[in-house]
Amino acid sequence: MTSIGTGYDLDNSVFSPDGRNFQVEYAVKAVENGGTSIGIRCKDGVVLATEKLVTSKLMKAGANKRIATVDRNIGMVSAGLLPDGRYLVSRARQETASWRQIYKSPMPVASLAGRLGSFVQMFTMNGGLRPFGITAIVGGWDSEGDMAVDGQVGAGPSVGAGGKASGKKYGGPFLYMIEPSGLYWGYYGAATGKGRQAAKSELEKLDLSAGALSLEQGVKEAARIIYVAHEDSKDKEFELEMTWVSGLSGPTKGQHQEVPKELREEAERLAKKALEGDDEMEE
Amino acid sequence: MIQPTGMLGEDGIHVDMDHLKKGEVNLGTSIMAINFKDGVILGADSRTTTGSYIANRVTDKLTQVHDTIWCCRSGSAADTQAVADIVQYHLGMYGVENDEAPTTQTAAALFQEICYENKDNLSAGMIIAGYDQRHGGQVYSIPLGGSLHKQTYAIGGSGSTYIYGFCDANWKEGMTEEEGIDFVKRSLQEAIKWDGSSGGVIRMVVLTAKGAQRHLYLPDNGYTGPGYK
Amino acid sequence: MGGFDFSNHNRNAALHAQGVPLPKATSTGTTIVGCIYDGGVVIAADTRATSGPIVADKNCEKLHFISPQIWCAGAGTAADTEFTTALISSNLELHSLSTGRRPRVVTVMTMLKQHLYRYQGHIGAYLVVAGCDPTGAHLFTVHAHGSTDKLPYVTMGSGSLAAMSVFETQWQRGLDREGAVKLCADAIQAGIWNDLGSGSNVDVCVITQEKTTLMRNYITPNERSKKLRNYRFQRGTTAVLNEKVMTKEDITKYVTVHELEDDKETAVAEKMDVDR
Repeated sequence: MTSIGTGYDLDNSVFSPDGRNFQVEYAVKAVENGGTSIGIRCKDGVVLATEKLVTSKLMKAGANKRIATVDRNIGMVSAGLLPDGRYLVSRARQETASWRQIYKSPMPVASLAGRLGSFVQMFTMNGGLRPFGITAIVGGWDSEGDMAVDGQVGAGPSVGAGGKASGKKYGGPFLYMIEPSGLYWGYYGAATGKGRQAAKSELEKLDLSAGALSLEQGVKEAARIIYVAHEDSKDKEFELEMTWVSGLSGPTKGQHQEVPKELREEAERLAKKALEGDDEMEE
Repeated sequence: MIQPTGMLGEDGIHVDMDHLKKGEVNLGTSIMAINFKDGVILGADSRTTTGSYIANRVTDKLTQVHDTIWCCRSGSAADTQAVADIVQYHLGMYGVENDEAPTTQTAAALFQEICYENKDNLSAGMIIAGYDQRHGGQVYSIPLGGSLHKQTYAIGGSGSTYIYGFCDANWKEGMTEEEGIDFVKRSLQEAIKWDGSSGGVIRMVVLTAKGAQRHLYLPDNGYTGPGYK
Repeated sequence: MGGFDFSNHNRNAALHAQGVPLPKATSTGTTIVGCIYDGGVVIAADTRATSGPIVADKNCEKLHFISPQIWCAGAGTAADTEFTTALISSNLELHSLSTGRRPRVVTVMTMLKQHLYRYQGHIGAYLVVAGCDPTGAHLFTVHAHGSTDKLPYVTMGSGSLAAMSVFETQWQRGLDREGAVKLCADAIQAGIWNDLGSGSNVDVCVITQEKTTLMRNYITPNERSKKLRNYRFQRGTTAVLNEKVMTKEDITKYVTVHELEDDKETAVAEKMDVDR
């Protein structure tokens, strides 16, 4: 045994006597130091936003994006060790690509979350591996329309398809968060990273489960929440990065895209104004 | 000599329907599937042949691959059974892994992949039909080369050549269940009449929101019954 | 030197080009049948094995053991039916041991069809699978290419047409054990008498939930009768022109001689089936 510690924290595949896996808990520490990332599930889409801390003035503003597109309809952001995040994104891309190859249709967000959860969990049971030092937020839109099988000849008939049950809605926005332990849940609003506590209390105020918040409002709230979460580390500079995905009738037509510059700047302006407002109230 | 399954001649692509191995069991067949008001109906004759001998006169060519996703098989009995077994396995796994029943599209995609990737070794002409609440009834056809076609109704097998005109003339969009059954039955009767490789009883499966219902029609009484059992 | 040696391929191709045909396997021109009845299932087979026009075995066994309550009748290439059923029987026992359950007939049918499909018809085994399991009595046919059928009565082999004619004219719903055995035996006899590839005796196997009864040579309609004449030459028919006696000492010069006690046989060859 080494001179420090109990030795129960050295290996992934070892439990401590009171049933804890210290390696996973240390991984969570890594997450807690990362820039804040959030996801909001609105009624007509999902917003992902992250506080990109500027580590060097020599890096080009707006470059080195942190939110990745996994499949056309799915985005992913994480807090914690950046390279671990990139690795999980590459795994997610493999999963969605292989799903497309097998089933000739896009992967549902829920299925992707399940696969990633299993993947991340695998890194907590094997000696010789370390857990992921990230918590990832996955957001996407499952198509609400009838989809053709990729590779079918022609578009198919415009008639037929008898017996469709009317009045039911399918597809829609989905949001999941995956932790270093492999644990994952579906959320209306998810937050991780340094400012998660502030972000979470702001998200809770939005009453997202009512399903009333629109995507555009969501974008503005997301910007504001990132700004609020940044308050505690005001000394550091940051860039706000935001992506969104809407339904087929929405602004992104079912695709995961960066929030347009004008809308983002407007959201940032409102966010700053709201913060100033808060300050005024306090005075 | 081994012949390729499809050959490009001056006048187009020729597909050799008779490239079964010696002694192989063949589903010289009449199969079809149609869309109707409440879902889909699959239909098939029941003749299985080895050369000129009828190896099975009451064959079931309508094969279930999931709760309300079925297929009609034509071509080699061994090949189509093997393909259907593989798809049935994958759809079963899909159902439990994703907590959600697979759609007809999923089934069609799996069938197509297998039929296309192994086109040189398979003689399988399949029609996939299924019902789910989201998409309603759907019919897909996968002919010999492994292409995938979405159709309102599909006919297949050696007997289908005799009923293209009949089906085209009698097809109606949005038939009732009774009309649909009658359409399938009359079409298959015609196919059986003209095609020597088709015969026996007429089997049907009706797929709707209520689930799967099997029908049987015997030649003894002019294919009038017993119907739904 | 490692690696594969493909030199035989060129030799075979050259031989084939000269018109030498491939060697022929012993094919069981055969009649095998099966029939479900209320409470069990019966399978039956003839006992002739042929090699081209030659009867290779007059009393071979075509009913193969799979598990105590699942049996298989085989037609096609004799070696293939023998080894395929033995392989599946072996794997099935392991499966049964690992699940701790009695094996099912569908399992056997599925294992057989997947094995045969993999070999794309090159394993020439045409089988009737029958048996009782916790889900009831079952009967299937499996063709060499891997297709299967499930029917209340089945026939296979070169005598299947003759046998099917018996089933199609005499089968009826609700047969009892005796009726099913009789029907199967009659169907096999139709093959024995009307099909060149089938002959000799009838083997029958009856499987119920309680027990399995194998009736080897249930009917023997082709028993060899006593020859009306014999063709042995009388002693002295051949004239002796001269005679020379060689002693043991003389022959020891050429070969080694071991003394054997008269009543001690070192080896017993199988008795040959010859005219006496």
